[in-house]
Amino acid sequence: MKLLVTGSNGFLGAALVRRLCERGERRVVRCLHRPGSDLGRLAAVRAAHPDARLELLVGDLTSPEDCARAIEDVDLVYHGAAALRGAAADMFLNTVVASRNLLEAVVGAARPIRVVLVSSFAVYGMAGVAEGATVTEETPLEPHPERRDLYSHVKRRQEQLFWEYRERHGLPLTVLRPGVIYGPSGPAMSNRVGLSLFGVFLHLGRRNLLPLTYVDNCADALVAAAESPAAVGEVYNVVDDDLPTARQYLERYRREVEPQRVLSLPLFATRLMSRAVAWYHQHSRGQLPAIFTPYKTDSMWRSFRYDNRKLKSIGWRPAVETGEGLRRTFASLRASRGSGR
Amino acid sequence: MSLKVAIVGCGQIADGHLEQLQKLGTARVTAVCDREPLMAEQLASRYGIPRFYADFDELLERERPDVVHVTTPPQSHRALALRAMDCGCHVYVEKPFAPTTADARAILEHADKLGRKITIGYTYAYDPPAVDLMEMVAKGLVGEPLHVESFYGYDLQGSYGTAIFGKPGHWVHDLPGALLRNNIDHLLNKITPFMPDERPAIQAMGWVRRERRYGDRRDAAHDELRVVLRGEKVSAYATFSAHARPVAHFVRVYGTKNTVHADFVSRTVTLGRGSRLPSAIGRLAIGFAQALEQLRAATRNAARFARSEFQFFAGLERLMTLYYRSILEGTPPPIPHRDILRVSEWADRIIGQLAGSSDDP
Repeated sequence: MKLLVTGSNGFLGAALVRRLCERGERRVVRCLHRPGSDLGRLAAVRAAHPDARLELLVGDLTSPEDCARAIEDVDLVYHGAAALRGAAADMFLNTVVASRNLLEAVVGAARPIRVVLVSSFAVYGMAGVAEGATVTEETPLEPHPERRDLYSHVKRRQEQLFWEYRERHGLPLTVLRPGVIYGPSGPAMSNRVGLSLFGVFLHLGRRNLLPLTYVDNCADALVAAAESPAAVGEVYNVVDDDLPTARQYLERYRREVEPQRVLSLPLFATRLMSRAVAWYHQHSRGQLPAIFTPYKTDSMWRSFRYDNRKLKSIGWRPAVETGEGLRRTFASLRASRGSGR
Repeated sequence: MSLKVAIVGCGQIADGHLEQLQKLGTARVTAVCDREPLMAEQLASRYGIPRFYADFDELLERERPDVVHVTTPPQSHRALALRAMDCGCHVYVEKPFAPTTADARAILEHADKLGRKITIGYTYAYDPPAVDLMEMVAKGLVGEPLHVESFYGYDLQGSYGTAIFGKPGHWVHDLPGALLRNNIDHLLNKITPFMPDERPAIQAMGWVRRERRYGDRRDAAHDELRVVLRGEKVSAYATFSAHARPVAHFVRVYGTKNTVHADFVSRTVTLGRGSRLPSAIGRLAIGFAQALEQLRAATRNAARFARSEFQFFAGLERLMTLYYRSILEGTPPPIPHRDILRVSEWADRIIGQLAGSSDDP
């Protein structure tokens, strides 16, 4: 049998393929990627593991035929493919419709196929959670994804779709909800730390803990979930230990990668600004976008605690400590800046 | 009074339609439709639309809309528009109106026969710069138009470009002329108001400038186009460029008196006049006169911004307002059928010339 990784050339997908190689995965690892995509990350994995049994497959999940081809001879799917940006219609198409096509192929297969979905912290309805509360797998899901942001909306609908298929078809499903995935060649800055605006970095996260997970640790969590029979039908949050605050992250980033002009806003100021922006958006009939609203602010920039005990109960441990993960990440960011990339 | 509206086709452009329809005051969208139910669902959920459908006939039957906005790929426009008109609806069709002029003609003839109102999404023609330009020309500031330059820049990394080149199966690659056909209306509909000819002489060149990296049909989509048109009294250049930076979008009308430049990016309209002063003094004065023109245009925009009239979809809003008014008041729709057909025919001829041309310079 084979296993399938969707989004295999993405940040997390490629790390998962690499971790599977490092762990000596015996099955063929089928790496699905879109036609014409730049395969830099997968090429690096292949170069480092020339003996690994990788099978690159070109396909697009918005095509049901491609989905059917992708799951041939497969008994496990890691579904990591998702749109991170783009217009709303495109994000829904490439994440939700794509997932439905994949699910149809999976439930239509003659044998049961284990599915591990990469969901997100973005599905939690944080605006309704008391400040300082601990985010667990029981935290209520976002009741108003349309008020939050497109990514939340899309991921929320995607995860719901997987549960619908589990209910209807008994899909052997495990859902993982990573916090902020970071690591070399990943995104430099989470919105939870703040936003770059007109040449200034608006630091909004301040003393809030960042729910980081190092990309390799997150990949290990996916493997742990796939290997644990107890994980079927379960959800796991993925965050590492020893989480830094947004401020600690930013300070280290400025020291180790690049200096930045920073304007630090306390929560009450962010809330006031959000109210003003939302009011102006309404008043001007949408002349400027509502990039800040009180709802988004309460979801993104309040302080919460995080819990990874459930994930540890199936044997996962963060192999890379946060201090070391940050060191590697910032070193890689510095190097890529140095090379002008 | 407000009209009952439905949207068929829940892709990217449907967002713009919904945003403006919800501001219009004369329209209420009761349902959206897409043959992919998840796409219909997402649009309805983001804009609070009460119902969504995967079957257009079912929507027409149950909702009985007054107006249908067709925002599907152009290959389906003819069938959907005709079906909607048969059910008593007026129809707003996104551009390109139809893949061929024969399809376009069929839609317009059906509208004539049944007395339905049709419009096409020529939104830039209703953006403030276009409106101001037409006013200046009507006032005689330009004199008699001699030549028109229509320039439309394109960003392949933008949200549309990314979607179109994200998949070889994207419908744009099925159109004759692919990317060019999907954008050429924006070039030609700014020339038609000044060139009354039915069949101007046309010379077109198109080619692929970007690196061919996909190894499939996406690589064949032309991303540069130059067209020369010559009518009885007016000539024109049309340029589509996916590589010129900054991404420009303008129309320039050269008249017997003055030249006017309408810029759709900065939304400024400026008049270029000759100097009335002699020699070096005159040449010196022109620079200041030009700067003053720019300042005047920018100040006008600032005033519009202050009045919340500097909207991204200003042209769409204006076109919709005029179109809905034409339905409510029983007047002719804002865009004459003849102009829709001329743009379509010219586009067919241009794409036809490209099909036979070689890529070699």
